[in-house]
Amino acid sequence: MTQPLLSIDDLHKSYGSEEVLEGVGLEMDQGDVTVLIGPSGSGKSTLLRCVNRLTEINSGRIALDGQDVTGAETDVNELRKQVGMVFQDFNLFAHLTALENVTLGPKKVLGMDAADAEAAGRNHLEQVGLLEQADSYPAELSGGQKQRVGIARALAMDPELLLFDEPTSALDPELVGEVVEVMRDLADEGITMLVVSHEMDFARSAASDIVFLDDGEIVEHGPPEQLFQNPTADRTEQFLSRLHAHEETA
Amino acid sequence: MSTAESTTSPNPGLWDRIGTVFTVRPLTVGLALFWVWVLARWTTDFVLAGVSGFDRGTPFIPAAPFLTTADAVASLATPLGAAGAPLVWVADTLRFTADATAYLPALAHGIWTTILLTVFSVCLGFTLALPLSVVRVYGGRWARWLALSYTELIRGTPLLAQLFVLYFATSLTQVLRGVPGVGVGFVPAQAFWVAVISFTLNSAAYQSEYLRASLESVDGGQLTAARAIGLSKLEGIRYVVVPQGLRLALPSWTNELVYLIKYSSLASFITVQELYGRTSTIANETYQYTELFVLVAILYLALVVSASALMDRVESHAATAGVGHTRQ
Repeated sequence: MTQPLLSIDDLHKSYGSEEVLEGVGLEMDQGDVTVLIGPSGSGKSTLLRCVNRLTEINSGRIALDGQDVTGAETDVNELRKQVGMVFQDFNLFAHLTALENVTLGPKKVLGMDAADAEAAGRNHLEQVGLLEQADSYPAELSGGQKQRVGIARALAMDPELLLFDEPTSALDPELVGEVVEVMRDLADEGITMLVVSHEMDFARSAASDIVFLDDGEIVEHGPPEQLFQNPTADRTEQFLSRLHAHEETA
Repeated sequence: MSTAESTTSPNPGLWDRIGTVFTVRPLTVGLALFWVWVLARWTTDFVLAGVSGFDRGTPFIPAAPFLTTADAVASLATPLGAAGAPLVWVADTLRFTADATAYLPALAHGIWTTILLTVFSVCLGFTLALPLSVVRVYGGRWARWLALSYTELIRGTPLLAQLFVLYFATSLTQVLRGVPGVGVGFVPAQAFWVAVISFTLNSAAYQSEYLRASLESVDGGQLTAARAIGLSKLEGIRYVVVPQGLRLALPSWTNELVYLIKYSSLASFITVQELYGRTSTIANETYQYTELFVLVAILYLALVVSASALMDRVESHAATAGVGHTRQ
């Protein structure tokens, strides 16, 4: 039996006296696309940030490819080479062009020379359909374009796992589609993705697993058809019905 | 498109042309004349001096025509009695202009020293201010406290006092005098370097405050994103936060440059013959205080306006869409 790419075991995290994650366990295999859903404040983003150690955990265990993630002697910068992240607010480097955003990591972290990094960077921009905007600054791009550059920037590090923290939440509704489409392409290419998102369209069509998180614990975990059609827990059902109601009014 | 719009832009009317000539040009022309004079002065006095035909400090402009005109104006004023006061004033101004032609070479030399003093101090101050500001924003508790103490100590005491402490109360002058090359040829003497060190330490404190404010105004998500692609904290600060912070700091940095041009006049109190020092020396000999200080004010104004114009160019060159202020 092969070991999972990502395994999270009995993860606890508190901010002060408030426990945000109360013993979360999760496994992902290579090529899995796991979508985390749950009410705001349920700990989805915190869980994501524990995986690349933007947030330090209190107890539990996270392993990537069998390597301990949370140990004191783990080099976080080495870890982050393997785990890319896409942010809700894009966080593109404001003083760099789209291409420079994508090549900064390869140049400074992976030590690629400028010409190779640029050639690779152009490929990644092409992959998200933004080759023509290579020389534009973030302020000159639309929200959807910014997020696609954000995805290209994460891809440029050639990570084993991509984390998406509500990648479409800050977008105008008409711009969501282009980002979801890029994410779906990545899923089809077999890239392992852990996604916090309420984008049901993406969850239904691209996810291999849906995880419903509430109050810091995993309430339900299953393939999308099962979890969306026949949720076993009441809390899941309530959350989904509220989500549907919102989707219909929006 | 309205008819009013179509008449203005492609073919400017006579009024617009006159407006351009009289609102923009005098400043540009004045500054151009100022710099032509300054550069010509430096070339003759520093480079060509000694070569036959060029005497160091020989005025470019003869005094005689001003004196003749002054006498003529004064003779017109005499029969008018009290009503001739404006003419007397014109005659006096012309007489001072005649005197000033002899002072100007020394003042051009003073301008050179003032510029050196300012440029050295502001650049060296910047190299200290950058790490200081990074420590203020990202440093540990003790490092932050140290940087803050330095900044507060410097900003909380008079610059002149700092200058005197370094000049009179330390052996810095003796040490500098022993450095080979100091005071030889083009290299200024030790008092100049004491002033440079003093202004550097002072300017570093002020610049670090400007930079700190700019670094703090860079969105926190920028560093988070830098860390997320595997850059260390220091690399993230260097490649992502600082380049943005510097662009944001440019306007206030210009302010510091302009201040320093004028504050560098304090160096005259420790014998440095910069622009103010030379003016003051001449005034003490000739008693033409008012006229000389008006003249030196004009020269400082020319330096300051030039510095602002230069920094304007730098700002528009560094302007990046979405970072700091961008001109349309």
